[in-house]
Amino acid sequence: MKKISLKGLDMTLYTESLSNGLEIYMLPYKNKKNYYVSFATRYGSDVLEFTEMGKKNYKPPLGIAHFLEHKMFEQESGEDPFSFYAKSGTDCNACTSCTCTQYMFWGTKNFNKNLEYLLRFVTHPYFTDQNVKKEKGIIAEEIKMYNDIPAYKAELKLRNCLYKNSPRRLDIAGSVSEINKITKEDLYTCYNNFYIPSNMFILITGNFDPDIACEIIRNELDSNDRRKVPKIKKIVEPIKVNKDKEVIKGNVEIPRIGVGLKIGTKVFSMERFELSLYLDMMSTIVFGDSSLFKERVRDKKILTDLGCGWENIEGISTLYVTGNSIKPDDLISEIINEFNNINVDEESFNRIKKVWIAREIKGLDDIECMADNMCYDLIRYRKVITNKIDIIKNMKFKTLKDIIKKIDFKNYSIVKMEKE
Amino acid sequence: MKVLNKDLGSYKLHLINTDKFKTVTVKVVFHTPIKKEEITKRILVTNILLQSSKEYDSRRKLTIESENLYSADLGISNQRLGNYITTSFNLQVLMDKYTEENNFEKSLDFLQEIIFNPDIENKAFKKEKVDYVKHDCLVKLNSIKESPSKYSSIRLGEIFDSKSPISYRMVGYSDDLDTIDEKSLYESYLDMINTDYVDIFVVGDFDNKEMLGLIKKYFKFKKIKKPKKSYILKNRTFRIRRNFAKEEINNTQSSLAIACPVYKLTKYERDYALVLGNLIFGGGADSKLFKDVREANSLCYTIRSFYTKMDNMITIKAGIDRTNYTKAITIITKKLDEMKKGKFSDEDINNVKEEFINALESLDEDESMMINDVMSSDILELDDIKTRISTIKKVKKSDIVKAFRKVHMDTVFLLEGVLDEED
Repeated sequence: MKKISLKGLDMTLYTESLSNGLEIYMLPYKNKKNYYVSFATRYGSDVLEFTEMGKKNYKPPLGIAHFLEHKMFEQESGEDPFSFYAKSGTDCNACTSCTCTQYMFWGTKNFNKNLEYLLRFVTHPYFTDQNVKKEKGIIAEEIKMYNDIPAYKAELKLRNCLYKNSPRRLDIAGSVSEINKITKEDLYTCYNNFYIPSNMFILITGNFDPDIACEIIRNELDSNDRRKVPKIKKIVEPIKVNKDKEVIKGNVEIPRIGVGLKIGTKVFSMERFELSLYLDMMSTIVFGDSSLFKERVRDKKILTDLGCGWENIEGISTLYVTGNSIKPDDLISEIINEFNNINVDEESFNRIKKVWIAREIKGLDDIECMADNMCYDLIRYRKVITNKIDIIKNMKFKTLKDIIKKIDFKNYSIVKMEKE
Repeated sequence: MKVLNKDLGSYKLHLINTDKFKTVTVKVVFHTPIKKEEITKRILVTNILLQSSKEYDSRRKLTIESENLYSADLGISNQRLGNYITTSFNLQVLMDKYTEENNFEKSLDFLQEIIFNPDIENKAFKKEKVDYVKHDCLVKLNSIKESPSKYSSIRLGEIFDSKSPISYRMVGYSDDLDTIDEKSLYESYLDMINTDYVDIFVVGDFDNKEMLGLIKKYFKFKKIKKPKKSYILKNRTFRIRRNFAKEEINNTQSSLAIACPVYKLTKYERDYALVLGNLIFGGGADSKLFKDVREANSLCYTIRSFYTKMDNMITIKAGIDRTNYTKAITIITKKLDEMKKGKFSDEDINNVKEEFINALESLDEDESMMINDVMSSDILELDDIKTRISTIKKVKKSDIVKAFRKVHMDTVFLLEGVLDEED
């Protein structure tokens, strides 16, 4: 087991790698009663097509990674994980993103048995025609629930405008017609290809003993079966946006808007984590809570709500600026105007650095937040970034200015959602 | 955690000592009996205090100051608690050892600046700020249906009893906006500061004596005020024939909301038997509703029941397809009847006892849960945590059945999604 110090946070990360490729990351706390455990596979809705082991190309129905997550809760014994964990007052859940599927439990008691159970239920699928059929109604309601949220619908439309080929154009859960095509054979095929030790990792934070946890994982999962992840069909996404603008109708009283800026990142010669910090710094200074932009649009009463966020795919980073306004066209013009006259100041730069360092320290109090951060790092960077505070401290204003100079601020898409 | 409750005359101070966090959290809570006609004003008052203060005359300057204090997070919220409305100012800031000397005290000063030093002129808020918060409120009122689940809860309360505080819209009322001006809003602010009952909670690793001195230095209220009215609502008599109501919405999913008022509970039933019963009935993924309505019949993705002690109410919420409405109601009714007949196992009881005890034992892992517990303990006169845990262990099946027999399904509301699936 390796021990790595988290710089500036006075914590030690324990890591281990089994011979079959399974990775373990553990962050024990001295003053917590609770624990949080996640068993994750690097498999999400981004995988549209792959080559099965020794077989042909395989293209399952859309939404299958999410469907698989639901179905893993079905066990041959008839006892579902919710019932097992309920016995010790422990909570459990699962989630699917574009790049990852996680199975989690969190609580205060029965750590050893709960961990054993997680490892077993995620490695023992039980799919039948009947239980697959049953799930379709449940997931259909989940899809409908999200589709009824105007902000969700508007963002999906913006993705359609930004991306030409990338799976990020699509809903993680698929569509009702696609999930209705899913069979138990599809689920087993995807499971057998992606739920393999070399494609998975375990994260544990909070109150537990790393030696004991590691021992349990070894006993349950260690093997020499180091299978390779299948070849996933690579999708090439052009840097140019797919469509400049789209106006749609939605169930809104106040129009919604979204502006997406698509940036090719191969021109920047810098580590991906560092680059993401600089890009985030730019959007925080320009569109964040203490920005001049926000004050201006608020004073003009053309802003009700505005959010900012980044998404990364291979070679591309996309900034999403979304919100609602009674004067959507004016708000869009203001955002574009900001793109055309991008301006950052050193005082804000230094203040935001201070805020980010404070947030890194605050985040440590939350064991779930720490597990989520590590999961994000492992998916995006293939490693846990253990010196974030140092990297933030070392950020240079000049570097931010240099990066901004290389960005094409004309490469954006706009979506406006008006009342039906 | 160690709690020190101190009555300082014009407010109560609750110092909660714990070394589990790198932050100190301060929460100032104003309570007053809720009046429908005052809700919109209260929403505007809290929003306007976040826009500017005397020293920081713009929202941007306020935000910059909170960032300079090493990201001192500040939030304000309004909530109805039974017969009362509470307004909370919440500040969370890193301990000085992670920032710089006196950063906490400066943050406390910042909090009191926002509460006590509003941006006013001639005994009124500034017109442009009032116009902004009125506009903001109106936009939020107009987009209320964008969250079908929240909207169905609001409509359920209104249909259940239009005279009860349960029916009050905590987003405000557009008609009231027209009657509010800069002066009346400032009077409403003064009313809150001068007449509301106040609690201050501080959570973190600090010396009690020093903290007491700091709080006394920055928080001074003039009058001594004590709550007289009970927080717990008394519901009107339940309907013998259930009230079914529907409203259409241009969505694909329908939002089902059911009000089940509870009558004549003993304190023991309120604090123990019905809490456990509700967890068995619809508390989570191991509950009767989840297992039958979702898992066995595939009728929904979300289904849950919520027990609100101060409202004497269990509310059931589910997202369903409109074609499954009758089937869903039939199963939910059956599950409720089964609870009243004691058709649940000892294992069900033991599981929810574990869940409840775990939640109590891990209260001190979360600052806001600690504060909520100290506040609820005060308002509802809850037993101490140790007594609660030992009492939970003794709750019998017959106690849960007896409590559940006091639950009546009264009003069923469907926000009916009339669109077909978009594929």
